[in-house]
This record gives sequence, C-alpha cells and structure tokens, in this order.
Amino acid sequence: MEQLQWHIITSENAAEVFAKLEADGIDPVLWGLTDKDFELLAKNFAQIRNKMVETNAILDKYKEYYESEENKDDTKN
Amino acid sequence: MGIRLFFIGLIVTALAGGGFYVMKLQKDNAILKANAIKLESAISDQKTLIENQKKDFESILTANKEMNDLIGKLKTDFADLDKRFNKKNRDVGLLAIQKTKAIERITNAASVKANRCIEIASGSPLTEKEINATKKSEINTECPSIANPNYIPY
Repeated sequence: MEQLQWHIITSENAAEVFAKLEADGIDPVLWGLTDKDFELLAKNFAQIRNKMVETNAILDKYKEYYESEENKDDTKN
Repeated sequence: MGIRLFFIGLIVTALAGGGFYVMKLQKDNAILKANAIKLESAISDQKTLIENQKKDFESILTANKEMNDLIGKLKTDFADLDKRFNKKNRDVGLLAIQKTKAIERITNAASVKANRCIEIASGSPLTEKEINATKKSEINTECPSIANPNYIPY
C-alpha cells in the first residue's frame, strides 16, 4: 500500500506547516480532520480490516472443506 | 374304478400343488434374499452417511470455534485502539496541541503499521520478523492478532 503523511496543525503551528509545504514544493493546502474525526477514521479503518480478516478466514474454511481429500470426489459430481 | 381314478387324480393334483408351492416358496425366498441384500446395502450407505455427517458436524464445530477465537482477538485489537484514544480520559487533541511533533511522529508510525495490517488482511504473507515477534517493542501494535501470531499479550 502507498504510505501517506499526516500533518498535525494547531493554531500555533499552522503558518509554519504551510510555509514548510511551500518550501518543499507542495501545494499549501490540507484536508483536515478534527481529533474526534481522526479517531473515527482510525476506528473505521480497523473495522474494515477486521471484516476483511473475518471474510478471508471464512473463505479459507470453505476452501479447506471443499478441497480436502475426503470431499474432493463429492464436488466433482 | 371311478374311486381309484378319483384318488389318483387327487394324488396327482396334490403333488402338482405341492410342486407349485415349493416353486413359489423358492421364488419368494429369492425375492427375500434380494431384498435383504438391498437392505444391507442401504444400511451400509446410511451408516456411511451418518459417519460423514458426524465428521462434517465436528468440522463445523471446530471451524466455528476457530472463527469465534479469531473474532475475539480482533475485538481485543479494536478495544486496544479505543484505549489508545480514550484511556483514562485521555484527550488526543489536547496532547497534539501540547506535543505536536511527537504526536505527528506517533500518528505516522501508526499509519505505516495500519497499512501493513491491511496488506496482511488482504492475504500478504507474514515476514520472518513479524512471525518471530514476541515482545511489545517488536509487534505491530495496530493488529498483533493477525500480524504477530507468536505474541502473547503480557
């Protein structure tokens, strides 16, 4: 996966952050989240990941069952 | 003479009847034998079916238990994430104002780990380092349940 960079902006460092972006040749614009929304984003991400793990585990179990030596013949019929 | 003929006829009829009866018994016997063979075969098929159903049932129970264990571990990971934000009324926003650089560094490090978790969840094989991780300092704190199979929380 691609890595992304988080910037934390407060009323104190906002000017410094935008100046650094400009100095690095990056457009001085940021998409913002409050601390609460950042928490929600992290939790949403974790929930999606957990769902993926669960779904993959279920698929593995079905694969294990239908591709096991004992059940191979049944699935051919 | 007539009586003699009558008795001869009676005996012949009795013999023929007996012969037919024996033949019928033999025929019935053959049918019964065939039925018994079919029945035995059906019983054997049913036994095999019941055994297979038992095996399937055991497999389902095992799979369910493994799934429940996995879901339990994932829930623990999620609860840990919640703790990181809210442990002892922690205010991440306030912390970010007070220690901006440190929180930015922690956030970016966690983001790298969270990305790796998605890769693992999508089927990426674990690295040796991930497999061998047993200490808190070595694990992927975002999803140790799937990234570090040998880590036992302490």
